[in-house]
Amino acid sequence: MRHLRHFVPVLVLLAVLGTAAAQGQSQYAGATLNVSVESDQYSAAMQALAPDFTKETGIKLNVSILGYSEIYQRAIADFVGHTDQADLYTTDIVWSCEFAQNHYTEDLTSLIKRDAAELKTDDILPVMWTLGSCDNEQIAFPLVGYAGVLAYNKAAFDAAGLQPPTTVKQLVSDAAAFTKNGKYGIVMNGARGSPSAQDYMFYMLMTGGSLLDANGKPQLNSAANVAALKLYASLFQYAPPGAVSYSWGDRVTSFGNGNAMMMMDFSAGLDYLKPGKFPVSGKAAITTPPVTEGMKPVYPFGGWGIAINADSRQKGAAWDYIKWLSRPDIRKRFVELGGQPIRTSTLTDPAMVKAYPYFPVLLKAFQNGNGDFRPRIPEYPQIENAVGLAVNLVINNQETAQAALDAAQTSVEPLFK
Amino acid sequence: MKKTNLTVEEQASRRGRRGRPLRFIRSLGALAWVAPALVFVLVFAFYPVLYSFFISFFKYRLTDPSHQRTFVGLGNYIQAFTDPTFVVAVRNTLVFVVGAVGVETLLGLGIAVLLNRELPGMALVRTLLLAPLTLTPLVVALVWGALYNADFGPLSFYLKQIGIPIGRGPVGEPSTALASLILVDVWQWTPLIALILFTGLRSQPTELHEAAAIDGASPWQRFRFVSVPLLQPTILVALVIRTMDAFKLFDSVFAITGGGPGRATEVVNYYIFKVGLTFFDMGYGAAMSTLLFLVIVGFSAAYFRVLNRVWTNV
Amino acid sequence: MNARLRRRLGNASTYLVLLLVMAFFLLPIFWFIETAFKPRVLTFAIPPVWFFQPVIENFVAVFKQVPVLAYLRNSVVIATGATALAVCLGVPAGYGLARHPGRSSNALALGLLIVRMVPPVAMLLPFYLLMRNFHLIGTYWAVILLDAVLNVSFAAWFMRGYYQGIPPSMEEAAYCDGATGLGAFIRVALPLGFPGTVTIGLLSFIASWNDFLMAMLLTARTTRTLPLGILETYHTYEITWNLMAPISLVAVIPVLILGFALQRYYVAGLTLGAVRE
Repeated sequence: MRHLRHFVPVLVLLAVLGTAAAQGQSQYAGATLNVSVESDQYSAAMQALAPDFTKETGIKLNVSILGYSEIYQRAIADFVGHTDQADLYTTDIVWSCEFAQNHYTEDLTSLIKRDAAELKTDDILPVMWTLGSCDNEQIAFPLVGYAGVLAYNKAAFDAAGLQPPTTVKQLVSDAAAFTKNGKYGIVMNGARGSPSAQDYMFYMLMTGGSLLDANGKPQLNSAANVAALKLYASLFQYAPPGAVSYSWGDRVTSFGNGNAMMMMDFSAGLDYLKPGKFPVSGKAAITTPPVTEGMKPVYPFGGWGIAINADSRQKGAAWDYIKWLSRPDIRKRFVELGGQPIRTSTLTDPAMVKAYPYFPVLLKAFQNGNGDFRPRIPEYPQIENAVGLAVNLVINNQETAQAALDAAQTSVEPLFK
Repeated sequence: MKKTNLTVEEQASRRGRRGRPLRFIRSLGALAWVAPALVFVLVFAFYPVLYSFFISFFKYRLTDPSHQRTFVGLGNYIQAFTDPTFVVAVRNTLVFVVGAVGVETLLGLGIAVLLNRELPGMALVRTLLLAPLTLTPLVVALVWGALYNADFGPLSFYLKQIGIPIGRGPVGEPSTALASLILVDVWQWTPLIALILFTGLRSQPTELHEAAAIDGASPWQRFRFVSVPLLQPTILVALVIRTMDAFKLFDSVFAITGGGPGRATEVVNYYIFKVGLTFFDMGYGAAMSTLLFLVIVGFSAAYFRVLNRVWTNV
Repeated sequence: MNARLRRRLGNASTYLVLLLVMAFFLLPIFWFIETAFKPRVLTFAIPPVWFFQPVIENFVAVFKQVPVLAYLRNSVVIATGATALAVCLGVPAGYGLARHPGRSSNALALGLLIVRMVPPVAMLLPFYLLMRNFHLIGTYWAVILLDAVLNVSFAAWFMRGYYQGIPPSMEEAAYCDGATGLGAFIRVALPLGFPGTVTIGLLSFIASWNDFLMAMLLTARTTRTLPLGILETYHTYEITWNLMAPISLVAVIPVLILGFALQRYYVAGLTLGAVRE
């Protein structure tokens, strides 16, 4: 009888803990997290999932969606001014080392190691870690991975009896074959700045070029890069005339309207594969990008990580949110709501593959993905700007590829002294 | 009670005869009226403007991990003068300002005169004319960017229909890109000029017009010798404001061309934005801002000189 | 009769020219309004589709994704505040500058104008740090103050030009009646300058309403304005016109209504001139 008296408080305690565990209430219940998310197809998913997180853990989320320019400037102003405007930021892959070297966001390495089992880190595709890694730090956790893919008008290819190109030579010949009767073989982003720079970098990767040499120093005007730029510029003869000033939205419209038969793209939204959004919906497909013959396949990789503000006073709660977002079952719902996958399990789950038949393409692209074709260094904005100008000058026939890239190289060299 | 129906000119010359010292003291009276506005501006604009000027003498990248801030004296300014992008940007900006403001002023004056006629439906016209002004400049730029699209923009489509070859499009051809942006600016801001000038026309004393008509002046002569001189202060205001804003062109370059094709639409304010808010190179951005500021000040000063001289000689 | 025929022709040609002018200014807006009601697949159809079954799904979608009404409220608060501040400070300043012409008055006017000559980009980050020191980041005040600073010089300038075109005869009459400077201003000059004040108020309101560069850095989640909402619909990898057009429309309509309502005031046909005894 005396033992029973001792048991009761323990039983009560266990009951309380048990209930709490069943509710999943986090030790941070009652806290509010401010999350700044970049505006893209996955942002709606972040917003939609927020109430579920609150229900499970009791932590409230204020999700703000901001345009690309805005989130970058706000983040920097926030970090530099130490104003703690947001606890979490989505971070572009190219900001990785800028944020790491300035200690703007928390290094998550130890947390990831500690919670590796819970996170099932082996399930996360290796390339995904480049979304926030710099040297030995991990300043952002993978959130959405974008694979570089080749989108093509399957109906048109089938009608012509062609298979989508797997080599660069085939790409060029296919583009030429479709350019007739007011239609075009391929479409690119020619607009000055980020659009043309990033588009060119896709083609640079598939011909073996690289913006940085083995020592991390710029080699914008290497022979391979110049050849890639010549190739890129030559493709514009198979593109709609306005392509020289296209940005991503224009490119998607051109492809989506069935005006151009191919385009290289990031798998950020793949809206042209979804029914009812574009005239080509249902007639388009994606495949891995072509590579130069004899080259080991390597595909562009990009995307966004989610990082914890170094000035945040709720890092514990923020880390709980990141862990929750990466849970395999949540990831599945995330994809259904418009997000992009980071886990092998998501990409190989039979139900998911049935709903998204292009998943095997993404898986292959991720497994051979290169997240560094756009250098993830603090000087990236200036490199991108220099390359963007060079590309735009060349496609407008105002400079030769060699001269343009030489000038670009000269303009960025002072940054690396 | 004195009958004071003097013309504006007669009053002005009366004041002038009183001598300079008195005029100086009298003009200090303005201080009392201006003080609140002046203090407000000093408090909230003083620090940012001064900081910007101060930092222009340093090499300072906000996101530099080493937080280096090195004094370089005029280094940033020298860099600006030797920077091909900046030089082209200055030239493009000047072309844009002169083109846009010129067209807007002439067009605006014409529209203001038309609006001034008392015809039924004018109130509706005046309201509708407000529409371009009220749109967010960024949205205006995006709309025109869509209209201009060479392959699926309505404007390009109809141009092609009537046989005008557009090549790579109005904003894709280096020769027409800047002019296309000028058109966007004209579209959005001509109503502003028209409105300001219309307000000015409306507030003109009718006696002067009637007196001129009695004297036998034709409508054109009345316009040239009564309306326009009386409009002079208003024209000046409209010109100065619009010129200053035109120098700060940003939205259409940001939303439509990104400075391209090549460097055809690179303008100074957009370049400053790139350098200051994307590269976070504060020193260089501040130096270019100071240079742009000096150019704007120079233009405004020139306005006063030229216009004052021209109109008082009429 | 010759004169009447000439007048009729004059009127007809006025209407014709105005029609062409209105077509130029309104067609792009018409396209843009249409896009808001167009199903997504038709947005960039070639040839352009002008007649179609309008849908409201775009409005529904954008209201779901963006807290439009909250942003609308914020825009109203900020624009009203900035305008009130700019007008209260700027109109008397303009009046003073107009009624006391001279060298130092010109210098003051130029001094005020200097602010508007500085590229705003240069002022943004230092202003952000300044607001941080005042603990005003994320409040309405941060944006209101910066907008007002930029608009007050425009207000002063505009009213100076406006008052320069109005002879001081009526105020001098009030002085004769024994009014003070301030009294004359309130009782005579302010009503006389009302159309100008309304105009500059409207323009300041529009400038503040449409700004996104300042709001981008200085607002917090609870004080975001409509232009930022518009930018939100601008996905990095896709321009979603079907979302951007409806929210831009919501952003435009209040200002248009305001302009229409204030019509009467800034075209009040004043007849200035001789003071009657």
